[in-house]
Amino acid sequence: MAIQFEFISSDAITGKSSEERISLIMKSVRKDKILVLEEPLTPAEEKLLIMKTMTAITREFPGIEVCSLGQTGSDLRSRVIKLLGGKTSGLTVVGPSNLVHQIKRDPHKLRFMAGK
Amino acid sequence: MPFQGLFKWLLGFFRGRKTFSLGIYGNVNTGKSTLANRISMDWTGEAMSKVSEIPHETREVIKKERVSIRVDGKELTINLLDMPGIATKVDYHEFVDYGMSKDDAQQRAKEATKGVIEAIKWLEHVDIALVVMDACLDPYTQVNITILGNLEARNIPVIIVANKIDKKSAKPERIRAAFPQHHVVEVSALKGDNVNKLYEEIVKRAR
Repeated sequence: MAIQFEFISSDAITGKSSEERISLIMKSVRKDKILVLEEPLTPAEEKLLIMKTMTAITREFPGIEVCSLGQTGSDLRSRVIKLLGGKTSGLTVVGPSNLVHQIKRDPHKLRFMAGK
Repeated sequence: MPFQGLFKWLLGFFRGRKTFSLGIYGNVNTGKSTLANRISMDWTGEAMSKVSEIPHETREVIKKERVSIRVDGKELTINLLDMPGIATKVDYHEFVDYGMSKDDAQQRAKEATKGVIEAIKWLEHVDIALVVMDACLDPYTQVNITILGNLEARNIPVIIVANKIDKKSAKPERIRAAFPQHHVVEVSALKGDNVNKLYEEIVKRAR
């Protein structure tokens, strides 16, 4: 079975609220897509993502695997970069756990195993 | 609320002594309830949580109120909060593999998802957090990073507990390397090894 990946540019999610970003992710993940977001989620957004995932869990949808690299928080540097229209480097990979079995990471590398 | 901190401080001041909420956080099956029991036994003589090898044994926040810890003449009163393990997935099949019936496994999964949400909501309300990691496993998980990131964002004091150091495969140095910005205390909650060091750190960091 083919696995569908979706790459989301930071332009596509800039300006969206955290709630909107999370519902966009959930919508795609529930359709068995693996998402790669050009901009990493913040810890607060990841917290929200986990909570939304928990409310969505069913017998058929057991949850997600998620991993962010180069995460930026709400520190001054990140805020100034965003305010000036710049992009903070990093990415988030997220997919349904019945497709993405494991994501291994070190500070600079992601490796994930996917398949039905 | 901008005056919340001031209000809490004033309340503590007029009551004479502040009680700290100490939350025990971490991935599933890292030994959070074993540590909660160790702390509770050491200072009250009573256990507080049920422990099991089946994941998600703790599915709601378990509280032990007004536990007094004394270290070097200093006393600290804490409300001890044993949190459900945080996870990004809860698959009932995993519980079936442990011998549970399908119905029981599905019920456990349902309760576990609620427990994860409850634990996450409490992240905003603890005064100090112990983030428990299994020293035998890779510490660099997204759950650990998300927990730490949210606690850091709120300036909540954190102590990382590298648990299960009594096991041969334990490599607590991996935890130190993964999170060099945090204080790490190596313990065996099961055997009680090095927990006195943890109590010293709790008393030192509570504010």
